[in-house]
Amino acid sequence: MRFWVRASLGFAASSAALLSLFLLPASGQNAAYKAPRGPDGHANLNGIWQAMNTANWDIQDHAPYAGPMWEVGAIGAAPAGLGVVEGNDIPYKPEAAAKKKENFKNRRTEDPEAKCYMPGIPRANYMPYPFQIVQTNKDILFVYEYASANRLVNMGKPVEAGTDTWMGTNNGRWEGDTLVIDVTGLNGLAWFDRAGNFGSDHLHIVERFTRTNADHLNYEATIEDSTVFTKPWKISMPLYKRVEKNAQLLEFKCVEFAEELLYGKYKKQPTK
Amino acid sequence: MRYRYLVSFGAVVAVAALLSVPMPGQAPAAKTKSYTPPKTPWGDPDLQGIWPGNMGVPMQRNANMGERTTLTDQEFAAKQAQAAKQAQADAQSTAASDSKAGIGPPSYWTERGKPSRQTSLIVDPPNGRLPPLTAEAQKYRKEARGGKGLPGEWKGEADSFEDLNIYYRCITRGLLGSVIPVVYNNGNQILQAPGYVVFRNEMIHESRVIPLDGRPHVNSNVKLYLGDSRGRWEGNSLVVETTNFTDKDAIGSNGAGYPGDPGYHSDQLKVIEKFTRTSDTNIDYRITVIDEKTWTKPWTILMQLERNDNYQLLEYACHEGNYAMSDILSGARAEDAAKKK
Repeated sequence: MRFWVRASLGFAASSAALLSLFLLPASGQNAAYKAPRGPDGHANLNGIWQAMNTANWDIQDHAPYAGPMWEVGAIGAAPAGLGVVEGNDIPYKPEAAAKKKENFKNRRTEDPEAKCYMPGIPRANYMPYPFQIVQTNKDILFVYEYASANRLVNMGKPVEAGTDTWMGTNNGRWEGDTLVIDVTGLNGLAWFDRAGNFGSDHLHIVERFTRTNADHLNYEATIEDSTVFTKPWKISMPLYKRVEKNAQLLEFKCVEFAEELLYGKYKKQPTK
Repeated sequence: MRYRYLVSFGAVVAVAALLSVPMPGQAPAAKTKSYTPPKTPWGDPDLQGIWPGNMGVPMQRNANMGERTTLTDQEFAAKQAQAAKQAQADAQSTAASDSKAGIGPPSYWTERGKPSRQTSLIVDPPNGRLPPLTAEAQKYRKEARGGKGLPGEWKGEADSFEDLNIYYRCITRGLLGSVIPVVYNNGNQILQAPGYVVFRNEMIHESRVIPLDGRPHVNSNVKLYLGDSRGRWEGNSLVVETTNFTDKDAIGSNGAGYPGDPGYHSDQLKVIEKFTRTSDTNIDYRITVIDEKTWTKPWTILMQLERNDNYQLLEYACHEGNYAMSDILSGARAEDAAKKK
């Protein structure tokens, strides 16, 4: 989009102005949209959704970069991408910023995605795999294709996290037509992306899902963790409905693809 | 998993007390046909709730019981007495849990279920036992992996992670392994939305999202551990037909290879599940297993699921915490090294 705007500068001023008219209304045009009602009488979020961005590689703005293994060639490389972090900067404390760099260096073996560990929140929502929202007349289940991860969002009386988990304790509520999920009890072992962005077991994430038209959700998450960041920060992105007639979640049980990495060294014939 | 017990530690004593009170047993036959289940707001029969598996019934019936589907009063009383004794032992083990450490889970972790009169989970064939294997399946099991046999319960060999079964590997326990009662984390939850039913299993965090719109199965090339499920309503019953299985998982209490388990199936497996609510608190859950390459005839399991909305499904992060795999393999390598000396 940025390139488009720049290109249009070469045209007559009037046509540039015209173009910007097309670009600007993105957020405003849906103000009048009224989502259909779901089984609970609230906005219907049921469907199979997927992010279409490069946040799983790096939630911040990034140029393309080489993958951690030259053996797989360009397949392992990261494409360039516009970030999803509001203002682009993540307010790391100095020691946490160093840890992030260390994570990136060790990503081939240390990224929990490589190990097929559950993706945690918010990463589960923007991995390059679909997920399904199952909005019942009471609670709401999020089912992710990757690693068979799932989380039940409690829409009743909020509960306290009994223990830390990968996918957190999820308490939901409606603010108008926006589903707000308060996530606590995260174990902080998941990363936010392949670039090594991370939080701790003190993470508190507030997510907001708003249906902006028939085929899109707007997703926002405010991320707070006073042990890692100097202040809360925010990500946002659209999520796209998988509109194929035969769209369905399949299985991506990735454990068997991570075993050589995790246990190969212990085999009788060790994996080199 | 263990976290549950940390969370619900205080509830253990209360549950143990409940278990010691004799409850009337449940006969295996569906007890009423006249029950009409509540409906969801969009008009489907409502099966939603938490329906933990019941531990109290063996997979196969004792051969000496023949075609008898229920325990006698005397047998049932003995079973209840045994359960009460066990509950007491579990409560004591809870109290003593800090005193000694072993390699197995402490006894109070175990979900033992409510004593039932049902003599076996298998209700067809009428003898409550698995039908014979086909000649092809016998040959396959014997010759698999160059005569080593299919990966099973600990066989003392750990050259690779592939020598261990898929539950040890924390991949899955398969569709049936995920519902057949095991030692703990037997939580099942049913959720519904228009056009879908989700059957969610606590171990190992499975959520089978079942479309009800009559769409065809995916291409037969797409082989999945939990298969490809399609559901439909037959009256007030939910019927789910599942195909597209891999031949890498097994049916059984742990997804593979304990003695008495049905064990490995072929990729021709077809599973037909029927969920019928028989009361506010019960589902008659029948699972018919059809695999002509493995068993000489189809067989059917009956589970009387009992609703327990106080049961809390927790995240069973099996793979993420699978220290056992590294320990088993590195232990085997240490043993190899010791033998060489």
